[in-house]
Amino acid sequence: MIKLYFLLFTEFLKIGVFALGGGYATLPFLYYLQGQYNWFTLEELTNMIAVSNITPGPIGINMATYTGFTTAGILGSLIATFAIVLIPSIIVMFMTKLYSKFQSCKSVNDIFWGLRPAACALLASIGLKLLFQNIITEEEWAFPIHFNYQALILFLILIIPFSFFKKNPLLTILLGAIGGIIIKSI
Amino acid sequence: MNNSFFEIFKIFFIIGIQLLGGGYVIVPLLKKYIVDDKKWISEEELVNLYAMSQCLPGIIACNIAISTGYKAKGFIGALAAALGIIIPPFFCIIILANILSGIVNIETVKNAFWGIRISVIVLILITIKDLWAKSVNSLFSYILFFIILICLLVLPVSPTVVIILSAITALISGQIRRKIND
Repeated sequence: MIKLYFLLFTEFLKIGVFALGGGYATLPFLYYLQGQYNWFTLEELTNMIAVSNITPGPIGINMATYTGFTTAGILGSLIATFAIVLIPSIIVMFMTKLYSKFQSCKSVNDIFWGLRPAACALLASIGLKLLFQNIITEEEWAFPIHFNYQALILFLILIIPFSFFKKNPLLTILLGAIGGIIIKSI
Repeated sequence: MNNSFFEIFKIFFIIGIQLLGGGYVIVPLLKKYIVDDKKWISEEELVNLYAMSQCLPGIIACNIAISTGYKAKGFIGALAAALGIIIPPFFCIIILANILSGIVNIETVKNAFWGIRISVIVLILITIKDLWAKSVNSLFSYILFFIILICLLVLPVSPTVVIILSAITALISGQIRRKIND
């Protein structure tokens, strides 16, 4: 058990340092954790993403708390949340003290210029894998294609309006829940 | 000016409760409470701290809370801000997680979560579209994006490795680009 807490701490310490780019940035890391340790199922992970979206607070923090809780109870959630903010907060305090006026240097600009497409690719790989698993073939990467038609219909219903309007996580999740109940009972 | 530990904690607690949906939502809240009401920092400082928070590792909303707290009252302020912004979501999640684990096996709840999982996929795809529009716009970024994506789909690469390698690649290619331009 101690070993699990320690692993949880080091993994979330790492996520705190390397998850760059807001909101869903922790997602690829959690997906990777799922494959590596089996602390939670993929289904649980998607449920956790949904809950983190509709509860107040930064999504990254919510995800850490929730995955920590699923893995190792209340103590687990404390450890994960503490670990994910630890190193960034030290760096932030240090930088706040150092710069009265923040000026990004050329190298930092260069790095971020490369990290943004990388962060986008990380998230895209998760998006595609989930799309395959839930809608297209029921496996991560498998052909031939055999659509899960119920899922496909709900997917299209949900994605079409949001290509025109602004992203609204709360509404999307609410509609998904209602749609799920209706489609599954038909 | 009242900037005791408890006062800072209280303000960030209020912000934490109102924070729904990730990083960028926090800026108007900080402007209202920290700049206009409490005057702990100026608006210009907020803009600078926000720019800085985006360029540092960590969760953006948390970073900016810690840096504004630090500006207001040093380490104590940063601690108060961090606790204030973390505690409300922490308890929300614990309570919800407990409720959900009790009802998740009911058939209707299962069906609802089946639908919610599709919603999550939709949300992720929309986020990818937004990120793509903002960040994948030059030849270098196209190449980087597709190389990483293909690697990730075929091999079990750790995201940590991806981030480190692309940071190094970007740093080196930036140096080369400037050499060529000079």
